[in-house]
Amino acid sequence: MESLAPNTEVRLAVAQCFRTLTTSTDTKDIITTLQTLHSYLEEGPESRTTSVQRAEFRRAHFTRTLQFLVSNIQADWLRGLTATQRTELWDGLFLKGPPEQALLVLMEGIGELRASTNLDHLVSITEKFLQSGRLAELLWSYCLETGPSDSPQLRETLLGRIVALPDLAANRLHPKNKTLFLPQQYHPLLATNMLTALERTCQALKDGTDCSLTFVAQTLGKVCIQGHSGLVLAVMAPRLSACTRSDMVWQRVCWKLLENVPQRCMESVLTGLVQAVNGPDALGRIIGNLVLTNKKAQFVITHKLLLLQYKYETQVLRIVLGYLAADRNRRPLLIQVLRSVSQAWANPSAVKHTPLEQQLYVSKALLLSVSLLRDSELQELRSELLQCMLGGMQSHLDSSVVRIRRMGMVVGECLSSCMDINNTKLKFEYNHDEESQELLSLMTPVASDELEAEPANRVDCPPETGETTPSTQNVSSQNKSNTEPDSDLDSDDELTPYDMSGDQEIMEAPPPRYLRDCLEALISSEDAVRVELSLRAAEGLVRKNVFATREISVQLTKVLLHMEDKYSINSFLSLRQATMVALTVIDSVPVTRYLTTEFYSLNYSLRQRLDILEVLALAAQELSKPINEKRNPSMGISASMDLTLYPGDNPVHWQQVVEKRIQSKTKRLGKGATQPPAEATPNRYAPVAGHFFFPLLSNYDKPQVTFDLLGGDHLVLGRLIHTLGLFMHLAINAPIAAQMGCALLDFVWAVRYHVDQMVRRGVLFAVCSVFLSMPSQNLLVDLSDQLFETRTWLADVAEGDPDADCRNLAVQSLVVLDKSLKKQLQDQQTLSMEP
Amino acid sequence: MSRPAPSPIYTLRGAGGPLNTLHFSCHGRDTPLLFSGSGKGAIHMWNLNSRRAQKIVEGHSGSSVIWVSTLQATDTLISQGRDMQVCLWDLSEGRSALMDSVWTGSVGFCQPSMLETSPGTRLLAFAGQQTEEPDSGPGPLLLAGYEDGSLLLWDVTQRSKLSQAKAHPEPVMCLTFDTNCLRGISGSSEKKLSPWMLDRQNNLQLQECVTLVNPGVSQLCIRGDGKLLASAGWDHRVRVFGWKKLRPLAVLQYHTDMVLSVAFSDHQDPRQRLLAAGSKDQRISLWSIYNEGGDTS
Repeated sequence: MESLAPNTEVRLAVAQCFRTLTTSTDTKDIITTLQTLHSYLEEGPESRTTSVQRAEFRRAHFTRTLQFLVSNIQADWLRGLTATQRTELWDGLFLKGPPEQALLVLMEGIGELRASTNLDHLVSITEKFLQSGRLAELLWSYCLETGPSDSPQLRETLLGRIVALPDLAANRLHPKNKTLFLPQQYHPLLATNMLTALERTCQALKDGTDCSLTFVAQTLGKVCIQGHSGLVLAVMAPRLSACTRSDMVWQRVCWKLLENVPQRCMESVLTGLVQAVNGPDALGRIIGNLVLTNKKAQFVITHKLLLLQYKYETQVLRIVLGYLAADRNRRPLLIQVLRSVSQAWANPSAVKHTPLEQQLYVSKALLLSVSLLRDSELQELRSELLQCMLGGMQSHLDSSVVRIRRMGMVVGECLSSCMDINNTKLKFEYNHDEESQELLSLMTPVASDELEAEPANRVDCPPETGETTPSTQNVSSQNKSNTEPDSDLDSDDELTPYDMSGDQEIMEAPPPRYLRDCLEALISSEDAVRVELSLRAAEGLVRKNVFATREISVQLTKVLLHMEDKYSINSFLSLRQATMVALTVIDSVPVTRYLTTEFYSLNYSLRQRLDILEVLALAAQELSKPINEKRNPSMGISASMDLTLYPGDNPVHWQQVVEKRIQSKTKRLGKGATQPPAEATPNRYAPVAGHFFFPLLSNYDKPQVTFDLLGGDHLVLGRLIHTLGLFMHLAINAPIAAQMGCALLDFVWAVRYHVDQMVRRGVLFAVCSVFLSMPSQNLLVDLSDQLFETRTWLADVAEGDPDADCRNLAVQSLVVLDKSLKKQLQDQQTLSMEP
Repeated sequence: MSRPAPSPIYTLRGAGGPLNTLHFSCHGRDTPLLFSGSGKGAIHMWNLNSRRAQKIVEGHSGSSVIWVSTLQATDTLISQGRDMQVCLWDLSEGRSALMDSVWTGSVGFCQPSMLETSPGTRLLAFAGQQTEEPDSGPGPLLLAGYEDGSLLLWDVTQRSKLSQAKAHPEPVMCLTFDTNCLRGISGSSEKKLSPWMLDRQNNLQLQECVTLVNPGVSQLCIRGDGKLLASAGWDHRVRVFGWKKLRPLAVLQYHTDMVLSVAFSDHQDPRQRLLAAGSKDQRISLWSIYNEGGDTS
């Protein structure tokens, strides 16, 4: 009976208070009552209440009291209080008692109240609650496990409220949201409060008190899994890294904290952490050997971050692999990682089917992990690495994408130099660009001190650039200082030079004046000067004398096609190409017949076949352009020079060309008649388009001994399809376009899922140009049965193709197709409505 | 983007022979004049306002005229022909009278050089096988280029050799000297222009060569303000360089045969300054380049 007394006593007192508050109109009574309630929360010797009473109030009546206050928030007695009294007595109650209860009541109140001054009042109390560090108090109370033994549901709700406070506030307050509740402000605040709780934990551990980190770990996990790991860990990671450097207790606390993170949140915490720490050592100090004890962590670190995801920067790779390499116990994991990464790198199917960015990422991981190996480990793994290198190199070099080939070469060089096979190294010739430089630089390990020393700079600029920038500035300033004394004397600079490209060497011998002389010189002459002069003069002669050209066009084309650069003539390839283009333009039908036949015949090199395609494409382009009044022969050469000699080798350029064409076309569709009508000129391409197009469609599936279009020669196949697409595109408005479109769509259907992305790009380009060039009524009538399948396929590609270009092209095609169909359907509607 | 190559503002035709030499006389006259000496022995006096030949002087008995010049402040013309004569002409009041002639005995192509120390006192240097250029100094100094490719600096009063430099492996075809900055440049039959400095001890110091696209230079000329250098090339082109750094600025393409002579005009207004080029194709082309901003200095 005696033990129950304080409980009932407190209950009665609280009930009495509530009654007074509801009924009384006297301000003095109200103040006294609120002070009574306050007295249950005040610690210290002068308190009017006993500790048992206080504990009972905190346990059973605090939430009730607060809820009562919130529900009576519009009561008259509250208005009667002065502002100071209200802040002290009313607001104070929320800020003094057990913080978890206060937070829950506040959030509930904010959730229930409509927009009013009362809501503003609660919001300002919440702000005060956060600013006065009550969150740290809350977390700390859970660390000490002094809080009430709560149910899992309650704890889950509390976690939810803490983590989702910005969302709840934003949902309720809309534009009147406080800056403190914005994620950018709140999450760092939460992080600091967690750090405070951790710091107190450390202190308590040193003093010999037991603590539990479960609640903090749960909070951390929940914040991270909700996608705020960047904000929170940006605050926490540097601090933890600094604290753990010298303090063993801090290290233990961190390890414990991460062990206690719930399994399902582990991944988001770890990925956030590896991005936020500034070096492998810091990661090691913070998470310890978590990777050995926690299966999930192991999976994330050794597999997911390296092989499944590829969005992270190189620094993250460095940290992860450096972390694995740093400790004796974790070292076997590094070996395991190296094995799986090298397998992934060498996998021929991966080379074909994964996005380029991922391959680059895996290559980086491979090089980094190899660079971390010790000599003994290298010896042990040598045979495996060698196998990986040979297989992987082969599949990389087989690729038709330049970047993949180069990646293979760089990695091969690095691996071979590491393994030291009989002192021989692989050495390739490739153009050094940023990417290859970066890969090569991965083999030289960065000293970890260096990384740690400048944690502030690390994020915005890697140390290398930090060094080079000032040095280049120095150089430039030196240059400046060198030139400055001269500059006042020197007036050359104010004179801008004219174009001096016409200043060429003068040939001794006169150029040939007749096309037949050219032909003879090209066939039989052994004189380098004569051959060069003939080649240089040929294009102009071809264009000048059309009748002479017609007589020998095929013969000259044959000679040029087989011509080799015996005398290393300057710009031989472009001269030869320009002449062949001129021949095709002047005498289209016989020359195209010859070239298209030769394309499929025996005994040509791939280069020659590609030449044929390029010549045809350029000629078709020239034919489709309106004739200029005065055609400058030198313009012809320079114009064809624009379309570089090897468009196939330059994916960026190629892509730009396609993009430009598509863009220009899409615009034209949209604008329609708003463009001023161009002066009408006969289209020279339309009558001969079929001669360019159809012969190339035949024979593609008949493999020759030397040429298998559907087999290994997919480089040519890609170019062929792209060229066909170009013919199709240029044939817009030509009567034959409809037949061409049907044939082309049939043709590419067989190869639409080709393994080589260059071929797929070509196919998509061709499809796109079919939709652009075919009249929309034909599109519906002639292709009606294929359209549905094509759409499904395009949607599939747009979603799932590993190559970004292919995806873009597929989306473009879909857009163009939809526009065309919509236009057609609308036209039909208007037609059917008219009669 | 560089500007397209310039084209001539007008051309003068009808000289009837290759144009070996050009000389402007625009300073202090009503009508700017251009004198040209042709390979057929005629000296044309072109009026640059009407763009017609105002007068033709035939004085070297059909032999090629290799040099013409005027004396300051008088209507006096001096010319050298391959008939081994240097002739002095009076052109005042529409006359064209032979005043004097000197027999040189030289069968070479070397152009003489004239120094007017004061009105009425002139020094003319002509020689056997040399190209010459005077230089003012303590005593008259004379620069001469020789067929062995070397340059010699002579002190005329002492009659002694002051300095020597081997500028070219081939004969020196032409040279010019800027008395303001004591720098000169010489051309030869090869692909190089060779600039050189004259230091305070009157030593010739060769500087880094400028390489041309095609070999052969027949004449070099520095514009009066010391900003531009023009070269008459055997490759039918006139090249224009910035004189200070010898930066190539323009290539003037018009002629269809060797350019034999270039000259900058001595207009008082810098904006009217012209560049004339005479070629073996019997035409004189006139160009107006870099005249816009050049008037300040």
